[in-house]
Amino acid sequence: MAEQATDRLVRMLGILTYVERHGDTPFTELAEHFGVTVDQVRADIDALWLASEPGDSWYPIDFSADAFDADVAALVRNDGVSQVRLSPREAVALVGALSTMGAAGALPEAGTQVLAKLREALAEPVIVLGDDAVDGRVRDALVDAIARYRQAEVAYVDALDRRTSRTVDPHRLVLIDGHAYLECYCRRAEDYRVLRLDRIEDVTVLDGAVEHPPTDSAGFTLTPAFTATVRIARAGRWALEDMPGVRIEDAEDDVIATFDVADDAWVAGRLLTVAPHLRSVSPRRLVDALHRQATAVLDVQR
Amino acid sequence: MAVPKPQRLLNLIVGLSSTRHRLTREQIRDTIEGYEPLPRGASEEEIRKAEQSFERMFERDKKELRELGVPIETVEDPVHGDEIGYRIRPAEAAMPPLDLTAAELAVLSIATDYWRGAVLDGAAQQAVMKLASSAEHGPRVELPFAALPAVSSDAFGTLVEAVGERQSVRFEYSSSSSGVGTRTIDPWTVVLRAGVAYVIGYDRDREAPRTFRVQRIGGRVTRIGDPGAYEIPAEIPLGALDGSGDVKTARVALRPESGHGLRRRGTPAGVDGGWDLYDVEYAHPEDLVAEVLGLAGARASSPRVTSRPR
Repeated sequence: MAEQATDRLVRMLGILTYVERHGDTPFTELAEHFGVTVDQVRADIDALWLASEPGDSWYPIDFSADAFDADVAALVRNDGVSQVRLSPREAVALVGALSTMGAAGALPEAGTQVLAKLREALAEPVIVLGDDAVDGRVRDALVDAIARYRQAEVAYVDALDRRTSRTVDPHRLVLIDGHAYLECYCRRAEDYRVLRLDRIEDVTVLDGAVEHPPTDSAGFTLTPAFTATVRIARAGRWALEDMPGVRIEDAEDDVIATFDVADDAWVAGRLLTVAPHLRSVSPRRLVDALHRQATAVLDVQR
Repeated sequence: MAVPKPQRLLNLIVGLSSTRHRLTREQIRDTIEGYEPLPRGASEEEIRKAEQSFERMFERDKKELRELGVPIETVEDPVHGDEIGYRIRPAEAAMPPLDLTAAELAVLSIATDYWRGAVLDGAAQQAVMKLASSAEHGPRVELPFAALPAVSSDAFGTLVEAVGERQSVRFEYSSSSSGVGTRTIDPWTVVLRAGVAYVIGYDRDREAPRTFRVQRIGGRVTRIGDPGAYEIPAEIPLGALDGSGDVKTARVALRPESGHGLRRRGTPAGVDGGWDLYDVEYAHPEDLVAEVLGLAGARASSPRVTSRPR
């Protein structure tokens, strides 16, 4: 597909602003910086050169012709043309993503710096809530291990409250659904895993080098066991809105939620919190899990 | 030879930025390189066609530049009757000066992944291209961080634009208290919390500020009325989203070797028979209850909440 006119315009203005700030710049550097060919840079500069005020009265941008022939952009004149500020969508996209990474605890140091610069330059385009619940020592130790290609031993509590110690090959810190995860190869599971950072209690960087390379297919490795359908009064809807792959439809005074279940005990616990609002639950397997969970709760409260 | 479109858009920016007062549509058509002036000695039919084609082209250009963030102002001039003119204030259109390092630019590129395939995908990439002009050139920086795409809807993008333009919106909303209904609001801001999007605004029918979860909006968000129709308050009430305001403490009893997450957050408060007691702070009772109930079936050793959260 041909390049969008506005994409090219933004790059042209980018080249102009870049050369204005950095002085004479070889086309090769511009090509690398803006991710295009040298021929494209030449065409973009040509186009900037031709920019004219109404009636061809004045050409506000001028480059040195000699430098141009030597494949160097040397600005002779720029009469007030510059890169365009961020649109509201663009500002929300960047500030929203960076702040969400920050709130989750998956933002590198350079991200904190650039976020501060953007926030200063833009009026607050989006409010991002949430506290970084990740232990700073855990994150620093993991970043250190990843940077030096070292294995790490992590003390981890999974979603079912099981505490384990695992030796992992750490690869990346990843933001998934608003939470920070460690992508790694787990030697205990002999497979790739994502571990939630705020459930890692402790990290020890080991001497052994990483042996398993990162995989492209990382992400959630939990495979859904079955699909559940739950009908619930509207007041209980909130408890189901975060379920993986959930679809929610309105049905009179109720809603019908369909979602994937990887672990029926965990889902049953969630359903119990809104038990008075439940109208129907299927399949049978989830009903049984709900029953077991409810009995366990009643036993201890007795 | 026809002027390529990026060139025409650049000339339009230059023209509207350099005008002292404003340019009317006619002036734009006749003087800006890239638009076709009316042919001399043309028939009425030809003139009508040329006018229509200019109108279509200019409307599209204006819309695209505005979407790009170029503030094209509409200027009415009583002296010239109802003919509308346009201008750009260069200081308002320009990117503020920012000095970014190569590492900072690399983080921005990771941030765009958060929107990949989602509603703000194009906007995020466009933003990074704009900011690349403010960044130093250096070797590519590899950071061991990533962001997987968020779930988002077109409704979110429309709400972001409406906030930027201060334009009212109308949508179908499924509320937990009052069911499905049409809402008309003046949106004040969008909010993200742990990847979930909300919009806060003034609900025109309920005559009060309200918070809406974007996921509960059914179908399209329609912008209604004129841009700049209302003021956004300096202090926006966060309502139920603000978890920091009202923190309470509950005491939970945990079997040994269970409830690790609660133990880490809580303060030890002694023992009671076979139970370890912990005081845990919470903002939303339902979240704590969910956490405790979720532990029940995981192991035989279940926790109990000894003081009821309210």
